[in-house]
Amino acid sequence: MIEQLSKLTHTAADLLLKAAGVGLVVMTAIVGWQVFGRYVLNSSPSWSEQASLTLMIWYVCFAAAAGVREGFHIRIVALESAAPPSVARGMRIASNLVVAICGVGMLVWGGGLVERTWEHVIPSLGLPRGLAYLGMPIAGLLIFLFSLERVLEEVRGVAMTDEEDPRWS
Amino acid sequence: MELAILVLTLLVLLAIGTPVAFALLGASMAAFIAMDIPLIVVFQRVAAGMSVFTLMAIPFFIFAGDLMYRSGIAQRLVEVAEAMFGRSRGGLGQVAVGASTLFGAVSGSAIASASAMGSTLMPLMKEKGYDGDYAVNVTVTAAIVGLLIPPSHNMIIYAASTGTGVSIGDLFLAGIIPGVLTAALLMFVAWIVAVKRGYPRGSFPGWRAFVKAFALAIPGLMAAVIIMGGILSGVFTATESSAIAVIYTILVSTLVYRSLGWSKFAEAAIQSVKITAMVLLIIGAATAFGYALAILETPTQLANLITTATDNPIIILLIINIMLLLLGTFMDMSPLIVITTPILLPVVQEIGMDPVHFGIVMMLNLGIGLVTPPVGSVLFVGAAVGKVPVETAVKTIWPFYGALIAALLVITYVPAISLWLPGLFN
Repeated sequence: MIEQLSKLTHTAADLLLKAAGVGLVVMTAIVGWQVFGRYVLNSSPSWSEQASLTLMIWYVCFAAAAGVREGFHIRIVALESAAPPSVARGMRIASNLVVAICGVGMLVWGGGLVERTWEHVIPSLGLPRGLAYLGMPIAGLLIFLFSLERVLEEVRGVAMTDEEDPRWS
Repeated sequence: MELAILVLTLLVLLAIGTPVAFALLGASMAAFIAMDIPLIVVFQRVAAGMSVFTLMAIPFFIFAGDLMYRSGIAQRLVEVAEAMFGRSRGGLGQVAVGASTLFGAVSGSAIASASAMGSTLMPLMKEKGYDGDYAVNVTVTAAIVGLLIPPSHNMIIYAASTGTGVSIGDLFLAGIIPGVLTAALLMFVAWIVAVKRGYPRGSFPGWRAFVKAFALAIPGLMAAVIIMGGILSGVFTATESSAIAVIYTILVSTLVYRSLGWSKFAEAAIQSVKITAMVLLIIGAATAFGYALAILETPTQLANLITTATDNPIIILLIINIMLLLLGTFMDMSPLIVITTPILLPVVQEIGMDPVHFGIVMMLNLGIGLVTPPVGSVLFVGAAVGKVPVETAVKTIWPFYGALIAALLVITYVPAISLWLPGLFN
């Protein structure tokens, strides 16, 4: 049961990352098109900037949620690796619960933000501003579920190790 | 009281290993509850912090750098540096610094540089009898040069954080001479250590080999020309130039170098969204955290504290540098840029410092934090690539820290090093 759940969430995280990757490629194409439009077609598309920004916020939310499942968010492990195993486990459970709370926050108040900005229309796109922020509550729900699952794994002692890939900054 | 809640929650959460973005978000939520401000404001700040047009350049620069690494352009740059600097004593140390500087000109990321240069050069260094700690020290400190050499996505975060529209073109130009200066100091230290340890002298491969290496690297280096040329001439915005750099890299690596297939392309895209998501979520959360600080009037209080302590600009800058260095040892670069820029910029502007100059000082200062324990992502990546324990590497890294600190002091107190080049273009 737990194993199946774990498989399911890994697949979900994988799909989220793939969708996010497609988002980045599409965003590259949109900005490329904007330059092409300005210099070759002599008419710059008015929607491109807002569209690529909206797209970026969406895929950032998707990939950020996947990062909770795959454990690639940057964090300080110095104390955890120095602590005895039982304490380290407690620390991981506590920090995953904090992430779960943040997920709830993103779901509830991020959702509130979407509601409040739904009436604002982004002029160049003709779409509600709230649509740009809709990724946040969705990601919040996923982050909540993913981090609870990691807590469950810790409790049952089958926790995965974090992905070793802090290649950023 | 609320300030204590904000800061202590952050420190406790960071200590137990909560991811940085969520530690910032959790601390902000706790402080807003304590201040009795509706929590929707936190998430409104997070959304606002991420919805900045300038920030769109970040995923593109990360994507372009990753594509260059996977398609072997980084390798070509190493070959150029080898032909240029390889013959001195401990030549591979010089090569590492030179190659990182070149790679910095096409990529905006210190970590990408440490892993690209480390994985190419460290095996070679070990083979020639260099010690692992030296290989790690020189590679990770050289990676910091890439933060100063444009393009640099941290400069974009800085420009967005100033809120006053500091020109990205000016920042990019301002970083070049400080970057070269820092590289020169690192090369000097790398040479001294190499002489002391008796590392072998390399041989000059001859002009033919040099010209050949350079010619092969030209299509890759053109990315730097396109980015800088595009921004400076006003043909592209910074975001556009970064997207064009991605498209250019794809074209060059598929058509010219023929080294980029579908799977590498997909890997690069996925790796880049992971890094982008981490960086942007941290920026969003740090924006909420900075907002909480602002409501608590911490920036004003801190500014008053500094300016009542002294009105000597030299000492004020020293205090700010020490403060940032200390913060940098345990916090990462992007949240610190977002949080401290609005606090410190008014202070330094008060003493007549140019925001562009301050940006360069901040890049180098916080860059040093990336190679210092307990939290130094570049140091950790370099140590992992070189398979050397961090503790071993750090024992002998001091001369290299010395070079970086010397560069920081010179760049802090001689504004012309940063401002001369942008002044020439304006």
